[in-house]
Amino acid sequence: MRTYQDLREFLAVLDQQGQLLRITDEVSLEPDLGAAACALTQLGEASPAIQFSNIAGYQNARVVMNVHGSWPNHALALGMDRDAPPRDQFHRFVHGYTQYPGEFRRVKEAPWQEIVVDHDVSLYDLMPLFRLNRGDGGHFLDKACAVSRDPDDPDNDDAENVGIYRLQVKGPNRLGILAVPQHDIAIHLAHAERRGEDLPVAIALGTDPIVTLMGATPMLYDQLEYRMAGALQGEPYQVACTEKGLDVPWGSEYVLEGRMLAGQRELEGPFGEFPGYYSGCHRYPVIEIDRVSHRKDPIYDAVYVGRPWTEIDYLQAMTTSAPIYAQLSADFPEVSAVNALYTHGLVVVVSTKTRYGGFAKAVGLRVLATTHGLGYAKVVIVVDDNVDPFDLKQVMWAISVKVNPDHDVVILPNLSVNPLDPAGQPTGIANKMIIDATTPMAPDVRGDYGQELDTPQHTDEWRTRLASLIKDRR
Amino acid sequence: MSDRDPDVTAPMCPRCRSTTIDIRATSPIAGAWILFACSTCLYVWRSTEPEENRDPDRYPEAFRLLPQQLADLPILPAIQSPAAKADSG
Repeated sequence: MRTYQDLREFLAVLDQQGQLLRITDEVSLEPDLGAAACALTQLGEASPAIQFSNIAGYQNARVVMNVHGSWPNHALALGMDRDAPPRDQFHRFVHGYTQYPGEFRRVKEAPWQEIVVDHDVSLYDLMPLFRLNRGDGGHFLDKACAVSRDPDDPDNDDAENVGIYRLQVKGPNRLGILAVPQHDIAIHLAHAERRGEDLPVAIALGTDPIVTLMGATPMLYDQLEYRMAGALQGEPYQVACTEKGLDVPWGSEYVLEGRMLAGQRELEGPFGEFPGYYSGCHRYPVIEIDRVSHRKDPIYDAVYVGRPWTEIDYLQAMTTSAPIYAQLSADFPEVSAVNALYTHGLVVVVSTKTRYGGFAKAVGLRVLATTHGLGYAKVVIVVDDNVDPFDLKQVMWAISVKVNPDHDVVILPNLSVNPLDPAGQPTGIANKMIIDATTPMAPDVRGDYGQELDTPQHTDEWRTRLASLIKDRR
Repeated sequence: MSDRDPDVTAPMCPRCRSTTIDIRATSPIAGAWILFACSTCLYVWRSTEPEENRDPDRYPEAFRLLPQQLADLPILPAIQSPAAKADSG
């Protein structure tokens, strides 16, 4: 596939494809940056990335947002044609995901090493930090990859972790980090605290588009995101090492090196989160930054998070769907696709062939028992194999005509759900529902499904021909 | 616009109304903005932000905090105690 060595190369391709909007008029840090990025998400499914290059109070700062924030941008990140439909992007992502492990390659020199600040670090001087939503408690780095190793197993590359965690800037060199016990970095911190040590971390901001998707993919503890990036792009993924032995993406704009402080928890939040609600405040771990390296005239990359859909929903789209699909199809090869795009998979749509009556409900139940389904999958909709689960018009058709609520809705009480789901009662517990929108099959003989419409002869050939003609008109 | 006039006084934190305020940063190009910070609740605000983010009386009710609430906020993840070393003592 087409790969990008850094964010700059990807921005150049977005620009060439008409998917980068440059704002050269002066903008304020607040509310302009958040407002513009939010507005972009309201302008359809093909909205471009946006770059601001004239930011009040800064000489040369550049901010990019919405880099992954549309299907064309997401397709280009995966090295596909910008017009690739979501279902094709899903299969492309799954293909890479199932090739794990790929390779990664360490090199000594990287562009981010060009400028080093290792005394009197002030992130306020180095980055155009800003508030995204009015209720946010401050400024957050919300699209950075945090890298750590297991202090009990420091030479094991597979236990190295790369994850996107929200980071609140609380002082010139002080960050808060949202790390809950389920996160791999929290396991590393727990091991460090038991040893009575701080946990070394490196934070990479402004990276190539693939590693950002990897940082957002729920993986097993002993799966390394760089090997997954290598699997996805079909060639070794390139990293450079910090002095503390942490691998960071070669193409990063900024690399922050520091320590998660053992035994410290401090007020963090709130932050407007992906379910479309603020997170509230908690006491979370703290990171002290000792050193910042960056490219010349670094680009600051941020994701707008708001009421769905926003850019974060694209970051959590195929990265959520692929792991569910991999687990589901291992048991049920009849499953053809999984759409877990909605609020990180609180709603999941699965398309499958059915073997016999009741089969689709069993597939739905299996979704609840996937690793991700334990905390999400509150509503599971199962559709036939000939319904594209990424095309909601088709899904709604299936629900319209295939569902008889008396037989096709299963509700299971008191299951686990992510605490960020505001519907939890109590928080973290919800009933879950399976909607079987597949065609009833013997021995479950119900309804009258004798003569379903198909398409006229040669429709597929016409679709290919017309799509090409439409594309040529652009 | 009146709500964009720089406010350089900032006597009180808009969120928790503490007076533990300091100037956290100023704009690299002098005079564009001042960033204030509250050392009690760690809230920060810029002199050029909309009034609801910098004026305690206009700060949205839903986001206000009382200093005495801070000690009751949940701790995540639980802090691990250093393990006693087998060979100690």
